[in-house]
Amino acid sequence: MSWIAEFEEELRRRGVRAATRERLVTEFSDHIACEQEVRIELTRLGAAREIAGQYAEELASEETRHAALGAFAALALAAIGLVVSQAELGRIGYPGFNHGAATPLALIAIVAMVIGAQVALVCGTLAAWRALRRRREPSLPAAEIALIQRRTTIALAAGLTTTAAMLLYVVNFLSVLPAWWLALSGAFAAVASGALVAAWRANADSSATVSVAQGPAGDVFDDLPPLRLLRTHPLRLVTLTALATGGAMTLIVWHAEHSLIEGLERGGFEALALAACFALFGRAIGARR
Amino acid sequence: MRAEALKGHLDGLILATLKGGPAHGYAIAQALRARSDGAFDLPEGTLYPALHRLERGGLVSSVWSTEAGRRRRTYSLTRSGGRTLDERRSEWRLLSSAIESVLA
Repeated sequence: MSWIAEFEEELRRRGVRAATRERLVTEFSDHIACEQEVRIELTRLGAAREIAGQYAEELASEETRHAALGAFAALALAAIGLVVSQAELGRIGYPGFNHGAATPLALIAIVAMVIGAQVALVCGTLAAWRALRRRREPSLPAAEIALIQRRTTIALAAGLTTTAAMLLYVVNFLSVLPAWWLALSGAFAAVASGALVAAWRANADSSATVSVAQGPAGDVFDDLPPLRLLRTHPLRLVTLTALATGGAMTLIVWHAEHSLIEGLERGGFEALALAACFALFGRAIGARR
Repeated sequence: MRAEALKGHLDGLILATLKGGPAHGYAIAQALRARSDGAFDLPEGTLYPALHRLERGGLVSSVWSTEAGRRRRTYSLTRSGGRTLDERRSEWRLLSSAIESVLA
């Protein structure tokens, strides 16, 4: 097998896209032809598999970081849409759960918006933060790449759940809310969904390139050093975080609705939802071993 | 000099080579070998991942041309690449003079 054939085969095996493969093969073929013109018999390019592997590892790292940052931008767009539409809804007055087409639809939409938005915020921020922290390293360990991709995937899935819930809310209250609010929220949800789908594709493309670089994956405790004391105590971590977010939600609702009971209900729901999400996604995002 | 010893410096060396004008991969490899009096004897294939990385970072740009019937990618330093090269030079001078002071 010629050097070029071995190189191209390894690139293909590592999932490097056809257009990139073609460009590299053309460049290396020119290099070898230049060597032959000056009668260099044995190419100085190095081992074909190693060079192809190095290229694939750098490409996988770069694409993964890029996808994580792109996902964060798409999630930020969705967040702006959600905040603006909810702020406007607060200004004109929230409709009751049972005033739309179907009460269960309203409840599903609200719960999905509340939980989806928070999961997307946490996972998207952790993915982008890790991508930024390790932006100067040409090649990341495969385990590290997988961690960033998992965080990005969960964040995008949660983001899409949130925008789908926004659309569901719009449909459920079509006959109740003003047309301008329905149009505004529907447009925000549709545009943000488009951005999230594009980010999803970029993340899926990045996982097509295979890296086998050795090394450990990091975790949430590298990303947030003050949490390091809790690294070996996942139960304490989830309890403290649930209490903090549940407490914050209680105070916010108590202040906004002038009702401590409602504040405690919403705070309790928030704490339980956080604990459930930690159990579901904690290992995948590097929050527990 | 082994490729391992050049790790972390290869990008700067490529940018410095391109400061002299646009060049294709083989010409860059030869320039590095010649300017280092043969000391930089790295596998030349490692230049290409570095060139592509620099291009993705906007530090070099590249265009296709045809030479003797062969397609060839020619790389040039961008303005941002020039600024990065100046930074790398300053950092290197600082580092090498500090190391020299300790080793001397």
